[in-house]
Amino acid sequence: MEMRTQQMAQRQLTVETADPGYGVLPACAPLANPYVPFQPNNPVAYPAKNGVVRGTLFPGLDLPFMGMTNDVPLDDTPLHELQALCFAITELGLYLDTHADDSEAFELYRSYVRLQKEGAAAYEKQYGPLTAAAAAEGAAYDWLRDPWPWEYDANQKEA
Amino acid sequence: MFVYEKKLQYPVKIARPNPKLAGIVISQYGGPDGELGASLRYLSQRYSMPYAELKGLLTDIGTEELGHLEMIGTIVHQLTKNLTPEQQREGGFANYFVDHTVGVYPQSAGGTPWSAAGMQVKGDPIADLTEDLAAEQKARVTYDNILRLSDDPDVNDVIKFLREREIVHFQRFGEAIQKLRERLNEKNVYYLNPAIDN
Repeated sequence: MEMRTQQMAQRQLTVETADPGYGVLPACAPLANPYVPFQPNNPVAYPAKNGVVRGTLFPGLDLPFMGMTNDVPLDDTPLHELQALCFAITELGLYLDTHADDSEAFELYRSYVRLQKEGAAAYEKQYGPLTAAAAAEGAAYDWLRDPWPWEYDANQKEA
Repeated sequence: MFVYEKKLQYPVKIARPNPKLAGIVISQYGGPDGELGASLRYLSQRYSMPYAELKGLLTDIGTEELGHLEMIGTIVHQLTKNLTPEQQREGGFANYFVDHTVGVYPQSAGGTPWSAAGMQVKGDPIADLTEDLAAEQKARVTYDNILRLSDDPDVNDVIKFLREREIVHFQRFGEAIQKLRERLNEKNVYYLNPAIDN
């Protein structure tokens, strides 16, 4: 039993360092429980603008259906830039929910939040408030301005 | 509380109307494995979660699912914009049109209105998180099937994004079960229900 545990631990270590698609299981797992391997700390991550079109920041979790992937980054517009940064924050936030002790991931999270604040300010200056309260920053109550997010034109903003 | 942010999580730009496809995609709005059920499942299950990391994860994934609900509603809306009279009558869509015109109503592709019968809140963290693993898989397969049925690149671009999110959420729920297990009786994780027993 002990030998097997050691071998498994050894295998985990090799796989873990070699390939982001492999995670960590407890060396000896009790029966009658669902097990999903833990994603190792400080995982390889795509930059936000690539991650957002893949639907994940993590190459190890990037598992497309029949090779159907989004490979072309979104056009360089203030909206797309903001969406990429917000996406990175959402994705890293979920990761940190189960990896709260990963200080390098937290550092990355902090840097994306800083960039997102700048991006949101730049976006709001051009296109209006992202939240009703942000309308207070403008000269008039601009919250109602068309288009709304579900409308085609809202997603077609030029740089 | 929740505050609305006036943007989508991921852009939706659908150039051509296609009511037939709208009638398929609507299943991820109000169908059995759709985003409305996902968000309500997680946001309701969180109340009986005993540990902070589980409360937080269900809140965060449930919130992201609300954003996905909005994206699916957006796809349906854009696919049914500016329909010709012929398109309103098109195969499969007339049955929807007669009841909802081009409004976005939570129902399955088969026409069953959204129902809480398609989800569960058991009040036991292992049972609820195990349901969540299954829910993410079922949503993933629905997106696989939409990719099989749709040849609209604008729709598929968004569906691929949403499908990948299901895989990430599955991973996080699996990790949450591992973290929960660390808190429970090492020899018998079913010894008690940590939501109500101490």
